Amino acid sequence: MSRNVLEKVLYDLSTSGANKKKFAEDPDKYLSRYQLGAEERALITGYKVRELADMGVNTMLTWGFWLQAGKSNGDYLKLMKREEA
Amino acid sequence: MAQIVGGFVAPHNPVMYFNPKGATQEQSDLCYGAYAEMAKRIAELEADSAIVIGCDHYILFGTECLPPYVISTGEIEGPVDQLPGLKRKPLKSHGALGEHIAKVGRETGFDWTVGRALNVDHSVAVPHHLMLEPTGKDIPIVAVMLACGVDPYLPMKRAWDLGEHIAEAVASFPSDERVVVIGSGGISHHVGDERMGEVNPEFDKKVLDIVTRGDKAAMLGLTDEEILRDGGNGAMEIRTYACAMAATRAAGGRVIAYEPVPGWVTGMGFAELEVAA
Repeated sequence: MSRNVLEKVLYDLSTSGANKKKFAEDPDKYLSRYQLGAEERALITGYKVRELADMGVNTMLTWGFWLQAGKSNGDYLKLMKREEA
Repeated sequence: MAQIVGGFVAPHNPVMYFNPKGATQEQSDLCYGAYAEMAKRIAELEADSAIVIGCDHYILFGTECLPPYVISTGEIEGPVDQLPGLKRKPLKSHGALGEHIAKVGRETGFDWTVGRALNVDHSVAVPHHLMLEPTGKDIPIVAVMLACGVDPYLPMKRAWDLGEHIAEAVASFPSDERVVVIGSGGISHHVGDERMGEVNPEFDKKVLDIVTRGDKAAMLGLTDEEILRDGGNGAMEIRTYACAMAATRAAGGRVIAYEPVPGWVTGMGFAELEVAA
């Protein structure tokens, strides 16, 4: 597991509209450019923000990643607090 | 030669822009009133330029390269993270002063990363919007970005040393201009973690007390563990306060306003820094 590459993915998605569009169209294809294992890819495609944060991924990125997908802030906080979203 | 004539610390809270109703009217009035008072003071100080000390929120610099401290030496544009009422645009830059500080730094042990056409985020654009634009003077800025939001964090001591270096460099800038410094950051706040929304007035008041007493030892005594525990990851931004304190020679100051605003997820503290003679 590399938090570096996970952070790189989330940074790239939070700072580029073109990347967001590609990710939304085909997440697996988009993620194939990164040095990620299957488990890491699943954390991203599943929006597992709590687990990503537990791995040390900066929460500025996990929050931005969640919100850029149009998901609610309330659900994000529930996940981060380990409640059901 | 140029001289630093004033200093300020203030939050750069983006939530004010995208969720203005998160605060009560009284809280909002108090905070915006504090920004207005600081703008008035900057005008009274007859500032010709400003050094705005902000911090990246993991939207300017990526995993490929994470600089500990950056200074603008040319054009500035921002914020890259546009907000309602605060759109991305060119910000008037004082490239010559930034280049002078960077040059002095290279000669004295501060190897600045320079932004020759620097993009900034809301940490620079908000104080520019609320503290400098209202003066009506189109004050040019030097933008400084410290590593406060992304690890490895700039050590507090290094932020302090950087402020002292900035003061020395400004004092050798061949101009008679009057410079203010702004330490831009929130006190207690949690960004993106499970405690988001918590504020800690006790910690906030401790920090403001340190700032307004000009207490270097107490400022440097704040460990990252304490800041993260009591103030949250966002409070790591008080490194900008340390830098501004040192740039004004830690002469103390006064609290302009303080308000814990959970709806804006931040302890909102505002202070003016005296400048040592």
